[in-house]
Amino acid sequence: MSIYLPIAELSVNIFLLLSLGGVVGFLSGMFGLGGGFLMTPLLIFIGIPTNVAVATSANQIVASSISGTLGHWRQGLVDFKMGGVLLIGAFFGSILGVWIFSRLVAIGQIDTVISILYFALLTGIGLSMLIESSKVIRDRIRRKSVKRKIHYHNWAHRLPFKVRFYKSKLYISIIPPIIIGFVIGILSATMGIGGAFILIPAMIYFLGMPTSKVIGTSLFQIIFITALVTILHATTTFAVDAVLAFFLILSSVVGAQVGVLAANKLRGEEIRALLAIIVLGVATKIALDLLVEPNEIFNLSVIRLVF
Amino acid sequence: MIKQLIILFYFLTGVLTPSISIALVIGSDQEEIYIDANFSGEELLVFGAFYSDPSQSRDSKSDILIEVVGPPEDVALRKKDSYFGFWLNSKSVTFRDVPGFYYLSSTSELTDEFLTNNQIGLLEREKSEMIDWSSLTTDWGSIINEKEKEEFYNALIRTKQNDNLYKQVSDEIEIIDGNLFRSYIDIPNTVPVGEYTVNLHLIIDNEVSQEYSYNFMVTRVGIEEAIYSFSKNYPFFYGLISLIIAIIIGWSGAEIFKRFRRI
Repeated sequence: MSIYLPIAELSVNIFLLLSLGGVVGFLSGMFGLGGGFLMTPLLIFIGIPTNVAVATSANQIVASSISGTLGHWRQGLVDFKMGGVLLIGAFFGSILGVWIFSRLVAIGQIDTVISILYFALLTGIGLSMLIESSKVIRDRIRRKSVKRKIHYHNWAHRLPFKVRFYKSKLYISIIPPIIIGFVIGILSATMGIGGAFILIPAMIYFLGMPTSKVIGTSLFQIIFITALVTILHATTTFAVDAVLAFFLILSSVVGAQVGVLAANKLRGEEIRALLAIIVLGVATKIALDLLVEPNEIFNLSVIRLVF
Repeated sequence: MIKQLIILFYFLTGVLTPSISIALVIGSDQEEIYIDANFSGEELLVFGAFYSDPSQSRDSKSDILIEVVGPPEDVALRKKDSYFGFWLNSKSVTFRDVPGFYYLSSTSELTDEFLTNNQIGLLEREKSEMIDWSSLTTDWGSIINEKEKEEFYNALIRTKQNDNLYKQVSDEIEIIDGNLFRSYIDIPNTVPVGEYTVNLHLIIDNEVSQEYSYNFMVTRVGIEEAIYSFSKNYPFFYGLISLIIAIIIGWSGAEIFKRFRRI
């Protein structure tokens, strides 16, 4: 059974969409990731135009990050003030990102740029996950426990405009979080990701936020970035496909909840290593598409009239 | 639902040549193709009859030609080149008012000469004068070389063929009883919306003896149409509604599963 997507202007098998959303949701629930970094390239693989894949992914992440934030919020693990400061930067970043995106669509380079960005992102994610999980597995075998520093003092503490963040027990300048938010905003708008993979380490290492507050806070602000990106794409690139988003959201929300349940039952590191391999596989496919001479070196796109 | 459309043509070539008195009766099973949520392409049926003087046998040399031309659209054709091992889009050409769909079918293989003389066809560069490329407004960008232009022309047609949007065949028209013809034309799910023209030609002795044209529409209907036009006309509210749906499903999903887990 297939469904016609009104914005992508093609019909796709409904079960393919539901299983795609379900699997990505499952992985995101299991590992506490947004899943956008897998959703967008997989949508492109099944034939959804790049611009629709990016814009619709952003819409889908709104739903999955709301689902995720609720739990953290109830436990008081969201630093709203920090989230707000990050959002100031993200606001401007996503406006710039959508502008860059529509320029790239206009000159016909969007596919290439997205491919390169995704290759870099997925390779980075995949390798770091693989290294980390293999380290943990090795440590577990040697029965060693990993010690972590709780608090970092670095350049973020020496800049002006210092503000107290009670929840995170920090007294730092607002400049670094604004810059981090700005970069995440650009990436979110151009790649259709929430950016948690970059945001979380940045919050821990650059801002020195306590690990317990990081996930909830990043999820919280991802809701707003991706919401903004959805609106910006809907009004400038007209690429948000509500029907596609609906099926992806429905299946990913269910998948995410199942993933959370599974995470409590299964041993994480082996599965994390498996996910790393999947991510690297997707990265390899993207790289091959760029490097292997295509069968058809010409590609045609219809220029849509924008009313 | 299906609206019959039968047009009768009496074509009398006059008392002097009664031997080629043939009429063309044609019909189609629909005037409109609707793109709705379940649309996955469609088959358009075109049928009809050669109608000849009962005292005469149908001239075996007569042929039927069916041409379907989709609505014009502007397309950007981009060529990939290798840069340091990466295949990236480089040169780009914009063609304006290219048919969004083109289908040419005949009961026997037609010669290039015939197509040229009658200004039919578009699938091969050799015959390209007939599509009258000069009438296409083309933005060549940096391309000035004739050979390269031709490469782009060919690529335009090839990429459209690969998407099943351009097709030329000579074995899809079924002849029944020597007098009736029937053809199913594949309309893929990627067809552009708009007005389509079906041209029928009766060919006798390599000459177009009769022509008949009619139009049908490909339109979006139902919720698909509503969503599409809403997204174009009220993009802000469209984005907002997409968001609200995401928020509702995201929120309620978490709530439902929380309860479920407690049990």
